[in-house]
Amino acid sequence: MTSYLLDVARNRNIEEYEKAGGYQGLGKALFMEPGQVVEEVKKSGLRGRGGAGFPTGMKWMFMASDPKSPRYIVCNADEGEPGTFKDKALIDKNPHVLLEGMAIAGHALMAGLGYIYLRAEYPEERGILEAALKEARAKGYLGENVMGSGKKFDIHVHMGAGAYICGEETALIDSLEGKRGQPRLKPPFPVNSGLWGMPTMVNNVETLSNLPFIMREGALRYAGIGDPSCPGNKLFPVSGHVERPGVYELPMGTPLREIIYEHAGGIKNGKALKAVIPGGISAPVLAPDQIDCPMDFVSVQKAGSMLGSGAVMVFDEDTCIVRVALRTLEFFEHESCGKCTPCREGTGWLKAILERIETKQGHGGDIQLLEDVCRNIAGNTFCPLGDGAASAALGFIRHFREEFTEHIRSGCRYHREQGQAQP
Amino acid sequence: MILITINGKKIELDGPVTIFEAARRNGIDIPSLCHHPALELWGGCRMCLVEIEKMPRLQTSCTVKAADGMAVYTETPRVVAARKAMLEFLLINHPLQCPTCDKAGECALQDLTVRYGAVAGRFEEGKRTFPENVDDPVIVRNMERCIMCTRCVRMCDGVQGAFAIGVVGRGAGSHVEPFSGGRYNCEYCGNCLNVCPVGAIMSRLHRYTYRPWQMDKTVKTICSFCGVGCTILLEVRGDAIQKVSPAFGKGVNNGLLCGRGMFGYGYAGSPERLKTPLVRKDGKLVPASWDEALALAARRLLEVKAQHGGRAIAGIAGGRCTNEENYAFQKFMRAGLGSNNIDSTARLGLLHAQDLLEGIFGQGAAANVIRGIPHSDAVLVVACDPTRTNPVMGLQVRAASKAGKKVVAIGHAPGLKRHMTHHLSAAFGHEGIALAGLLRELLRQKKALPGENPEFEAAIMGFSELPSPEEVRRLAGVPEAALTQAAEALKDVSTSSIIAGRELAASMDAKRNFMLLAAIGYVLNSRFFLVSEHPNEQGLIDMGCTPDMLPGGRPLALQTFRERCEHEWGARLDPEPGLTLMEMFEQAGGAIRAMYIMGENPAFNLPGRKKIKEALEKKLDFLVVQDIFLTETASLADVVLPSKAWSEKEGTYTNLEKRIQKLAQATGKNHEAGMEDWRILALIGRLAGLGNMPYASASDIIDEIARVSPLHAGLRYEDLEEDGMMWPYKGKPLRMSGGMQPLPAAKAAATLDRREEDTGQTGPALVIEKPLFHSGSLSRHSGALLDIMGGPEAKMAPGTAAGLGICEGGSVKISTAEGEMVLKAKLEKGLPAGAIFAGNNFGDAGALGLFGYELEPGSKTPVPRAEGLEITPL
Amino acid sequence: MTEPQPFSPKSVALLEEIRKKYPTGRAALMPALYVAQEEFGWLRPEALKAVAEFLGLPEMTVRSTATFYSMYRHRKAGRNVIRLCTNVSCMVLGAGTLKGVLGNVYGLAPGGTSPDGRFSLEVADCIGACGKGPAMIVNDDLHTGLDAKKILEVLENYK
Ligand SMILES: Cc1cc2nc3c(=O)[nH]c(=O)nc-3n(C[C@H](O)[C@H](O)[C@H](O)COP(=O)(O)O)c2cc1C
Ligand code: SF4
Ligand code: FES
Repeated sequence: MTSYLLDVARNRNIEEYEKAGGYQGLGKALFMEPGQVVEEVKKSGLRGRGGAGFPTGMKWMFMASDPKSPRYIVCNADEGEPGTFKDKALIDKNPHVLLEGMAIAGHALMAGLGYIYLRAEYPEERGILEAALKEARAKGYLGENVMGSGKKFDIHVHMGAGAYICGEETALIDSLEGKRGQPRLKPPFPVNSGLWGMPTMVNNVETLSNLPFIMREGALRYAGIGDPSCPGNKLFPVSGHVERPGVYELPMGTPLREIIYEHAGGIKNGKALKAVIPGGISAPVLAPDQIDCPMDFVSVQKAGSMLGSGAVMVFDEDTCIVRVALRTLEFFEHESCGKCTPCREGTGWLKAILERIETKQGHGGDIQLLEDVCRNIAGNTFCPLGDGAASAALGFIRHFREEFTEHIRSGCRYHREQGQAQP
Repeated sequence: MILITINGKKIELDGPVTIFEAARRNGIDIPSLCHHPALELWGGCRMCLVEIEKMPRLQTSCTVKAADGMAVYTETPRVVAARKAMLEFLLINHPLQCPTCDKAGECALQDLTVRYGAVAGRFEEGKRTFPENVDDPVIVRNMERCIMCTRCVRMCDGVQGAFAIGVVGRGAGSHVEPFSGGRYNCEYCGNCLNVCPVGAIMSRLHRYTYRPWQMDKTVKTICSFCGVGCTILLEVRGDAIQKVSPAFGKGVNNGLLCGRGMFGYGYAGSPERLKTPLVRKDGKLVPASWDEALALAARRLLEVKAQHGGRAIAGIAGGRCTNEENYAFQKFMRAGLGSNNIDSTARLGLLHAQDLLEGIFGQGAAANVIRGIPHSDAVLVVACDPTRTNPVMGLQVRAASKAGKKVVAIGHAPGLKRHMTHHLSAAFGHEGIALAGLLRELLRQKKALPGENPEFEAAIMGFSELPSPEEVRRLAGVPEAALTQAAEALKDVSTSSIIAGRELAASMDAKRNFMLLAAIGYVLNSRFFLVSEHPNEQGLIDMGCTPDMLPGGRPLALQTFRERCEHEWGARLDPEPGLTLMEMFEQAGGAIRAMYIMGENPAFNLPGRKKIKEALEKKLDFLVVQDIFLTETASLADVVLPSKAWSEKEGTYTNLEKRIQKLAQATGKNHEAGMEDWRILALIGRLAGLGNMPYASASDIIDEIARVSPLHAGLRYEDLEEDGMMWPYKGKPLRMSGGMQPLPAAKAAATLDRREEDTGQTGPALVIEKPLFHSGSLSRHSGALLDIMGGPEAKMAPGTAAGLGICEGGSVKISTAEGEMVLKAKLEKGLPAGAIFAGNNFGDAGALGLFGYELEPGSKTPVPRAEGLEITPL
Repeated sequence: MTEPQPFSPKSVALLEEIRKKYPTGRAALMPALYVAQEEFGWLRPEALKAVAEFLGLPEMTVRSTATFYSMYRHRKAGRNVIRLCTNVSCMVLGAGTLKGVLGNVYGLAPGGTSPDGRFSLEVADCIGACGKGPAMIVNDDLHTGLDAKKILEVLENYK
C-alpha cells in the first residue's frame, strides 16, 4: 500500500518533500489548462474528506463554471469534530502536501488567494504552516509567479477562535469574514457566492492533500486505490480504549474491525469491545456486531451511521454509555450556534434529560421523551449540526436502550462498581 | 411565469418569490416568527416549515423560492406536528409572563400557541433567565422572552444601519444587547421594538398602562415632525395617544420611523399645552374666554388696518400647520386684511433653494419619490445630513449604500459615516467650492455631455475658473484625492439622486451654488431632493404663504391669476408683493404695526433674536399668536389663541416630495381648549367682517383650494387615501419641466470668488446642530425625547476641545456680538476640527440666538453670521 | 466618553500586518481580537473599542462577533489558562478525574480562576489530541497523556 499523506515524518522539511516527489503534481498541473485539472480531479473519483463525502470534482465544476472573480480557495482546517485529529497529524507530518494541494486547486479554479482556516486549538500547527509557507514562497511554489507560470497564488493562515460550527463551510466563510460563525442560507452555495460574495472553494485539509498524488500519479492510478465508489487513502484517527491510538492512513473501505484490532492493536488491557463511533461524535454509535463494516461513505451509512471524519472512537465493556451520551449532548448544546429554534432549544433539553437519567433522577417516559425530542429536532434544523445531535443521541438509545432503562431504575452500574465520582 | 400549487390551489407567479410570499399574496397564511418583509432572509425560527412534494425534508417557506411545478402543502399533519414541536421548543424557556407582559394580545408567540394548541409542559428543568433591563429611559429589554428571531438586529444593522444592538453570546445563551449592555447609544428609531414579535424589546412609554385590546381605535395619520411625512398609526385610548406604531407596507416610510416620530408624540398630551385663550392686560397675559379674545383680535386688527392700511400688518404662516390652515391664513391676510406681507421660516433657505432649482428646471424640479433613491446609481448629499434632518429619507441613502450604489457626501454628514463611498469634507459654508471642484473634475473625466440641452451645456462649459483639486483643498479643505476619486466614481452613472440642504441656499453664494448643483445634476442625470425641517414647509409654499406667490405657485404679479383669486375670494388684491420674513421684523414699528403669527416661533427660530424679540415686544402695536404652547413668541403677544395639535385635527400636509397626505383626527374630540387654526381665522374674519371663509371642515377648504389653485385643480379630499397624491396632483404645473434654462446670473455666479476663505483652520466656528432627537422648539414638550436628549450641549472633537482647554462635561461660554450662552461640553470623535456644534432646541440655550444675519440681496434669505465668536472654558 | 486605550507600537505593527491579509477590515477582526486580548489581558470594553476604532467597525459588531467564540476571554483570567479536554475520547480515559484534581489542588472550577490568580480553567471540547488523551493546552502548549500525577508535574512549570 502506498502512503502519500502521512508517509514519512521527514516531509516536514521542503527539501525532503521535494525529494519524495513533492511539488511535481503542481508542476504538472501548471502545464495543463485549469479546466483539464478539474477534469482530472473529476476522473479520480475523489470524494471530500470533510464529512459529507461529496464528489470533489463535481463541486469544482460548479465553481469552474462561475465566471466571477476574484476567487478563493479555503482550506477547512477547523477539525472540530470530537475524536478527530487527522488534519492535525497531516499538518504536523506533511504540511507541504497541503500547500501543494491548495496551489493546484488555485490553478484549477483560477483563484489567486487561499486561506487556511485553522482551529484555535492548534497553535503549534500554525507555526508549522507558517514555516512551510515561508519555505514554499522562497522556492517559488507560492507567490506572485508560481513555478514561473506567471500565475499568482498565495496562502494566509486564519485562526479560528473556538466554535465547532465554524467547520460548516458557510459558517466558516462568515467567520473568515469577521462575523459570528453562523451558517448561511443555501443557495447560493459558496462555489458561486462565498467569501465576500465571490466564488469560493472550501475543501478539507485531507481532501486537498490528495491532489498532489492525483496530479503526479494520474487520476486513473488514484481511482484504483481502495473502494471504487470512494477511492484513495483515508486517514482514520483512532482514539478511546485501544492499545495503539493514533492516525492510520489506509485505503478507503478498510473494515472497521481491521482498523481497531490490527492497526490500533485491539482493545486496551484485553477487554471486550462495547461500542464504537465510526465517524466522529456526530455519527451514531455502532454495536460490536457491526464492525465488519467497510469504512467507506456508502457502507457505513448502510450500517446506520456515517463515515463523517472517519474518527473511530472505541469504548470498552466498562464504559457507561449514558455518560458518553450526556457528554456528547453537552458538546452539542455548547456548540449550537443559536440560529435555529430546534437546535438551540432542543440540544439543551436533550442534555437536561440525559443529565437527570445519569444522576438517577430520571423517570419513566424519559426515554420516549428523549426520542421524541430527537425526532422533533431531526430534519427541522437549519444546518446539519442539529441533525447530528439528534442522530447521535438516537444512536445511543437504539443500541443501549437497556442501559438507559437500568439507569432510570437503579442508577449507574459503572459508578457503583468502580466507585467513580458522579459527573 | 412560474406555476405552482399550494394546498392544491393553482398559483401563477410572474417572478421568483419565496413560497411564503406566494402564499401570502394568495391569502394563504403561513405562520412565521423570524421572517419580516423589510428584512434580510433568515430562516431560523422554523415556524414556516411546509411540505413540498419530492423533497424529503420539510422546507422553510420563507427562504425557499417557488420553482415551476412545485406542489406545496402548508398544513399537513406532518407540518402541523413540526410547528407544534417548534412552539414547544420556544416555550420551554419562555417565561410565560403573559398576564404581566405588555405584549400580550399582540404577541406572535401567543397567537401561534393559540393556533396550534398549547403543548403540555414536558420540560421539567428550570428556565433560562435574564434580568429585565431598564437602564434605558425609553426601551426595556426582557431577554428571557427573546426567541432569537434576530429581527431587531437585522433591522438595526441591515435597514437602520445603526449597528447599535447585536446578539451577544452563542447558542442558548445568546441575547440581544446594546454595546454597553444597558443604556442604548443609538438613533432611537424604535424600529427594533417595532419588529420584535414578542415582548422582549418594548417601549417604556406606555408600559403597564393598557392592554392592546383596550385600545379604542387605531388612527392612521402622518407624523408631525419633518418634511418626510411618514405614515404612522396612533393607538388611542380615551382621548390620549397611547402609542405610535408604524405601518409596514404603507406610506413613504414603509413602516420605518425615526426617534421623533416613534417616541416624540408626547407633546400633544403635554400638560403645558395652552388651555385657554390669553389676552394681555396691564402688561400681563391672562386667561380669557374665546369670545373676548377673538373679539379683541378682530377689533385691534381692524383698527390697525383703518389707521395704517392693510400693508401695516404682517403674517407668519406655520410649517406645522396644515395646507388648509395655511391657505386660509394667506387668504385672511390678503383678501381680509389686504396685506401681502406673508412669509414663513421656509425663507431660511428652502424657498430660495426651490426657487433657484425651479428657475432652472421648471416647477416641480424637486418633486421626486424618496423611495426611489436607492434605485439610482449614485447619491450625492450636499450640505446636509438627511439622516438627522429627514431621517427616513436618510435611510434610503443608507439603503442605496447597502445596495452597492455610490454615496458621495459633500460637507458634514455624520449619519452617513458608514454608508458613504466618498466624502468631500468641505468646511462649513464652503460646500459650493467642493461642488465647483467636482464639476470641473466631472467635465474633465467625462467623455461627453448628455447633449439634451445645448443651451444649458453651453452655460456649463462657459463656467470660467472652476477650481482645481489643489485649490479646492486650499479653499475648502477637501483632500485632492477624495475629489478626483469621487468624480471618477460618479462619472459613468446613468441615474443619480441629489439631496441638498437649505444652507446651500442660505448663502451669499446661493446662485452660484445652485447653478453648480444644477450643472452636476444635469451631467449626472439627477433627481433632486431638498431637505425640509417641517412637515408642511412645502405645503405652505404651495398654498401661497409667500409675499409674491399665490396658491399653486402662481406669481402674484400674474394679473390673470390675481383676478381669478379676487373673483373667488371676493376682494381686491394688492398687486405689490409684500415683505419677506426678516424685513417684517426690521420694519416693525415703522411700516409694520401689527403681526399675526400662526404656529411659528420666530422669537426663537430666527437669527438676530435680540432684535426680533425687541420688535415683537416693543415695536408692534398689536401681536396675535396662534399656537399650542406658550412659546417665546406667544409670551410676547397681545392675544394668544390656542390651536389644536396635529393629532387633533383633519387636514393635509405636503411633504418634501410634494406628496399631499391626509391627517386624521385621533384625539381632542372633546378638547375645548384648542381650535383648528383655520377655524380661528374664520371666526376672526367673521367678527371683523373680513374675508369670506364659510368653512365647516378641512375638506371644505380643500374644495376651495382645488378651485383656486391650478396645481390642485380637481383635487378632492376623498382622493387622498392610502399613499396620498404626488405633485402635480390632478392639476397643471406652471411650466412643464424640460424647458430648462440656465440662471440668468449663472455665468457670473459660477465664477469663483477667490477670496482666501476661512477653511476652518483659522479658528473655531459655531455650527447649528440639527439633532436627531429634537425638532425646533416643539420637541422640548415630549418627555421621551427629553429623556433621550435632555438638554443643550456644545459638541466638538476631542482635538478641538483640547486646543480650547475644554474638557468633557465642562462648562463652555460661547459669546458673539449677539449675546452669550453657557453650555456643557460634549466631546465626540470624528467631528470636524474647529467646529463647535450647538442646537437650537432648548429654552434659554437656543444657539441661533448667537447669530446675527445678513440678507442675500435677491431672495432676502437671512445668511446667519456669528460675528466676534469667542469660546472660553469656565 | 472613555478614550479607547491605544495599542502599543508592537501591537499596531502586528495589526497592520494582519490588515494586509484581508480585503476588508471586518475580516481582520478575529486576528485583531487576539492581538487585543494579548495586550489588554482580556476583551474588556476598552479592548473591543480599540479594535473597533482600529478597523473602523461599529463597536457592537466587534462585541457581537467576539462573544460568539469561546477562545476569547470576556472576563479577567489567571496568568495561565488551562484548557482541559473532557470530551468523550479524553473522558473515557479519565479526564473527569483530572478536573477533580485541579479542583482539589488549585481550587479551580470550570470557567473559574484560582484564588491566587495563577490559573484559569476552561473545559475544552476536544483539542485534537484524542490519540494521546487525556490532554490539555496550557497557554499555547499542548500536554498529552495526562494522569493525576503528571498533570500536577506539568503545571508546576507555570507560575
Ligand atoms: C456542523 C458541521 C461541522 C463541520 N466541521 C467540519 C470540519 O471541522 N472540517 C471539515 O473539513 N469539514 C467540516 N464540515 C463539513 C464542511 O461543511 C464542508 O462540507 C467541508 O469542509 C467540505 O470539504 P470537502 O469537500 O473537502 O469534504 C462540517 C459540517 C458541519 C455541518
Ligand atoms: S442546527 Fe441551527 S442552531 Fe444548530 S448550529 Fe445549525 S443553524 Fe445553528
Ligand atoms: S419564518 Fe421561516 S424560518 Fe422563521
